Amino acid sequence: MRVRTFKYFFKESFTSLIRNRWMSLASIGAVASALIVFGSFLLLSVNFDYILKDVESQVEITAYLEDSVEQESIAKLNRDIAAISEVKEIKFISKEEAIEEFKEQVGKELLEGIENPLPNSFRIKVNDPHEVAAVAEKIERFAGIEEVKYGKGIVEKLFNIIYWLRMIGLAIMIVFACVSIFIISNTIRLTVFARRREISIMKYIGATDWFVRWPFLIEGMILGLIGSLVAIGVLALAYKYLYITVKLNIPMISLLPIEGFYEYALGFLGIGMLIGAFGSSFSIKRFLNV
Amino acid sequence: MLIEMYGVTKVYPGGQIALKDINLKICKGEFVFIVGPSGAGKSTLIKLIFREEVPTKGQIFFAGKNITRLRHREVPHLRRRIGIVFQDFRLLPEKTVYENVAFAMEVVEAHTREIRKRVPLVLERVGLLHKAKAKPSELSGGEQQRVALARALVNNPDILVADEPTGNLDPETAWDIMGLLDDINKRGTTIIVASHAKELVDSMKKRVIQLENGSLVRDEERGVYNCESKDF
Repeated sequence: MRVRTFKYFFKESFTSLIRNRWMSLASIGAVASALIVFGSFLLLSVNFDYILKDVESQVEITAYLEDSVEQESIAKLNRDIAAISEVKEIKFISKEEAIEEFKEQVGKELLEGIENPLPNSFRIKVNDPHEVAAVAEKIERFAGIEEVKYGKGIVEKLFNIIYWLRMIGLAIMIVFACVSIFIISNTIRLTVFARRREISIMKYIGATDWFVRWPFLIEGMILGLIGSLVAIGVLALAYKYLYITVKLNIPMISLLPIEGFYEYALGFLGIGMLIGAFGSSFSIKRFLNV
Repeated sequence: MLIEMYGVTKVYPGGQIALKDINLKICKGEFVFIVGPSGAGKSTLIKLIFREEVPTKGQIFFAGKNITRLRHREVPHLRRRIGIVFQDFRLLPEKTVYENVAFAMEVVEAHTREIRKRVPLVLERVGLLHKAKAKPSELSGGEQQRVALARALVNNPDILVADEPTGNLDPETAWDIMGLLDDINKRGTTIIVASHAKELVDSMKKRVIQLENGSLVRDEERGVYNCESKDF
């Protein structure tokens, strides 16, 4: 494709963007709102993920041993559990260590004169928090294990929340994207209509379909691109504000730093342009069969 | 042989029969009129040549290639070999005369250098170089049709196809346009003109194909024309 041809395409695109400026603005607004809604849900879920990673290190399995288990068997159990591929770390906590820890938490006085009621135990960390439940089940089956405990439910719930946040965000984005495609295709239809005479002349002269199509595709993509830039700007500002507010007021929650958001910006630009291209290709189709 | 039609029939979706079993051959370099009353099928015949319409039955060859089986994306390449002129000129009102003609070259992605060289040349040929900067609305009907002719010629087509090119013009201007077409023909471009201006056609002393109710009723050659000698 010649440079001159591309110049021509861009000139045509910008001319009609300005000619239909109100429709252009509506299209940009539609794309921007679609992406802002999606982006909010995305950021929410990403932050849940981030917080979960933080919690993750605290998600560990405690396996309590029966009191009858001998020293030798403990060593064997230790080896066996460590051999489970998902297990990252295993630490033996003896009765004595457990009570010391407990005393520290509740105060020495309270436990004065009582025989140590705590069992020996293992503390186990796994590679992937998704696997906690499965690993816990495996450990439970070993002989000599009395009881296995882990943050049952909490992990699953968190994963569920993240999953649903993503799904809801995605669903809303799809609806908004359809609305954007519809609005953009209407905008482009105006342009196509304004230039229908030119298009038919072009076709008679021997223009290829793509030659006719490009200016409209570019127009749609520019609309999508500007829309996504607006969305990125709004989200970045809002997130920055949120991040600072949370940091100052609720210091125990640490949100994903703002830089993490920029990773998604490129994707947003892509989605915006795709929406624009889709919208415009719907409007041109009919006019090409001359 | 530039155009060959064999048993061409065209029935429109509504059931209206526009052309019935047309057989004809047009050589390179010929000047052919297609005449007949309104609705006889002149426009349909013209549209079949640049493939705005596809025949219901029969075959059409352009320069030896069967264009009835042309794929959609091959159509532009056929049209680049055909210059098309309409009764209503079909110029772009917001572009100047020069830009209207240059547009035809931009569309087929010609080099800028080529466009700058070729457009004034063609405008000169239709006698409108001095109005290059005018807008179509500032021109008379005859001048507008000359611009349309220049646009049709600028890409150096094998054939010029005109559907009622003088239909919107007064008789005197119509004569000018016909003279210009004759001139273009003498330089080697094949020309097909659909017209119902009987006097004008008769006085041109060219081959006349007459249509009536979609049938070819007369194909008359005035003057001797040897297809073989000009065919290569």
